[in-house]
Amino acid sequence: MSSALTGFTVIDLTQGLCGPFASMRLGDAGAEIIKIEPLTGDSARTMGPPFIGDESAVFLSLNRNKKSLALDIRKPEGQDIVRRLAAKADVALEDFGPGEAEKLSLGYADLRQVNPKLVYCAISAFGEEGPLRNLPGAELVIQAMADYTNSLGRIGEPPVRLGTDVASMNTGVFASQAVTAALFHRMRKGEGQRVSVSMLGTLLHMRGIMWTAMSEPDDWYGFHLDHYTKPPDQGYKTKDGRVYFGLRRGDSEDWDRLLITLGMTEQLNDPRFADFGRNATSIGRYAAEVKPIWEEAFKEMTNEEVIKLIHEFNGDAVSFLDYPSLVTHPQVQELKVIHEIDHPTAGTFKTVGPVWRFADTPTKTHSPPPTFGQHTEEILFSLGVTKREVLRLKEARVIG
Amino acid sequence: MAGILDGIRVFDLTIAAVGPWASKLLGEMGADVIKIEAPEGELSHVIPPPIKGTAVLYISANFNKRHIVLDLKQEGDRATALKIIEKSDVFIQNMRPGAVERLGLGYDVVSQVNPRIVYVASSAYGRTGPMAKEAGIDPNLQALCGWCSITGQPGGQGEMFRHLAHLDISTSTMIVEAVLQALLARERTGKGQKIEIEMLSAALSLQSTRLAEYFATNQQPQPMGSAVPTTVPHQAFLCEDKKYIAVGVVSEDQWPRFCRAVKLEGLCADPRFATNPKRVENRAALIPLLEERFLTKPAAWWVIRLTKEALPNSRIGDFETLRYHPQVIQNEQIVSIDTPHWGTLAVDGVPWKFDKTPAGPVRPGGLKGEHTEEVLRELGIIE
Repeated sequence: MSSALTGFTVIDLTQGLCGPFASMRLGDAGAEIIKIEPLTGDSARTMGPPFIGDESAVFLSLNRNKKSLALDIRKPEGQDIVRRLAAKADVALEDFGPGEAEKLSLGYADLRQVNPKLVYCAISAFGEEGPLRNLPGAELVIQAMADYTNSLGRIGEPPVRLGTDVASMNTGVFASQAVTAALFHRMRKGEGQRVSVSMLGTLLHMRGIMWTAMSEPDDWYGFHLDHYTKPPDQGYKTKDGRVYFGLRRGDSEDWDRLLITLGMTEQLNDPRFADFGRNATSIGRYAAEVKPIWEEAFKEMTNEEVIKLIHEFNGDAVSFLDYPSLVTHPQVQELKVIHEIDHPTAGTFKTVGPVWRFADTPTKTHSPPPTFGQHTEEILFSLGVTKREVLRLKEARVIG
Repeated sequence: MAGILDGIRVFDLTIAAVGPWASKLLGEMGADVIKIEAPEGELSHVIPPPIKGTAVLYISANFNKRHIVLDLKQEGDRATALKIIEKSDVFIQNMRPGAVERLGLGYDVVSQVNPRIVYVASSAYGRTGPMAKEAGIDPNLQALCGWCSITGQPGGQGEMFRHLAHLDISTSTMIVEAVLQALLARERTGKGQKIEIEMLSAALSLQSTRLAEYFATNQQPQPMGSAVPTTVPHQAFLCEDKKYIAVGVVSEDQWPRFCRAVKLEGLCADPRFATNPKRVENRAALIPLLEERFLTKPAAWWVIRLTKEALPNSRIGDFETLRYHPQVIQNEQIVSIDTPHWGTLAVDGVPWKFDKTPAGPVRPGGLKGEHTEEVLRELGIIE
């Protein structure tokens, strides 16, 4: 069976995290990805340590199912090669920043001339309009501007970022959507187009609930609002770890028995614990202030014991996991989302695979992330460039 | 101009955040999204805060949809649902595994009625395995997926992201990605298909780069405040006026410019800091020099210096500064919309721009069941 995007070719001019994550997702879905790297290599190749062999772990996690062409696109001959590839491709993906591709004669207008049906996707940091349009982005910079650090840490203390690269990764997903949607449109209506996404736009979109909540709430209460002033949260301390739990589906008899079992008889008549604890756990109004009461009750219990007990009373409860316990967790193992890939120089490494399971169009079997310029000759030959010409381009430092 | 999903109808049987946000995105691309709720309403109605009595979550996750009420436990309404399904292209549900089958709307039934339908079954933890039957909400997933363990002040034990929806919406975006792929595949094969996805896998995918560090070292990455293990400098610095500025040097060409911007040209020639891997190794030597330097001037000065050298930088934004920021306004990243029920709202702009098939504009959805009659009449189900 073929994959959903089998037969489509993507010319990927991006570097770092965001663009490569987008093209990897298109590659997982079956597209052929031609990764064009400057002669200094994709910037993600030097993100580290850690390195596995000569390859950065970060780079390896973002570049499976791609071919690498090492090409200096600042040279006119390099630009010409990109245009020849674009003529045969379906998608071009770039993250140079607004106006920069045009300076290289690789803007949408340039590439449309050689391929009117091309889908052209531009990724920017802050958006293509506005006073900051030419400012490059970085993960933390976008998180900070987009209000994300205000939901972490403690007021008055140094800012905390989300450890996960959300500005980059989530923008990669939106880029993958935009490209696929534009290909769908092309299939139905026969026309290509230019699409764009930005890292700031992504994070501001994903935080939309907050903007709406702050528009004119009936009261300043509810987690969309009061999380700004709450202390850092890492769930409930137990004897051997931390848990998170919620109790929203019990009945009153159950609820009384739970409190009695936990020795929390004083709370039977505490109004903050009314309505089966709806307001005393999880996202409830009093959850933060009554946390010490729960923790006192959990003091002599292990995570496993707490979780078992909460489950008995129809609640949800999970442990806080770190990475070692996450990757060995039976539910994660069941999902088979952690894959192993054999790499020619780095050896076998682990990585997170595709997340969708399609009944009829399965994702592609992985090929390893390319070494720098691994497919330069193969790709040039496919354009009809002769061996002799390849040597000349190499000497002229047009290709790597 | 028509939207990219013009003519695509979505049967939206979703609840809370993950499912609704996915169908909302499809609506913003131009799909006709019909949100079906039981008479008692879906669970987001009771989640505070409300605006004029309606839960913000319900308002926010349901733009660009029409809202109808069907009691799927009643045979008549179930028959109505099947008639809508017959005329739909996408079916999305995010109930607990088994729940939709009990309503008689499992894939076998739905695909019988409409073999061209793209059917999404989204869950928290997957359809099999020890946690398959458990409900998962964003904070549970945050705890379980490991991302708290890499987030927090240095030396601490990590913390949750108190914005309790990011993993929800992140899953939604991966659902949309899959739906678009399946719609495209349908153009070629003529057939719909079933897609399964879960929040736990989506949360792992989002952490691909950070999990890679762990896989490479077998060492748990530690919380580092605003910093990150693999790039230096890439963190926030305290300035003279006690404000923070976030900076990142994320490609090698930026390093000499950075040294110039902070007027520490000597660093540029220092072999300890010549490349990013070197700066990562010698972080302990470099960062104190920079901390000291940033403390000598107010943040506003560093914004000018860094921006002049085209280096990533920002102060910390908040709602009040963002909603009026020319960058945000001109790119329509937060937009203001008038709504019939809730007054004027600041809402998330659409995340993509299409030059031939514009997405949006963002339209308010409605109250529970507001469009029942309109939709059923339009589909010819009632007179």
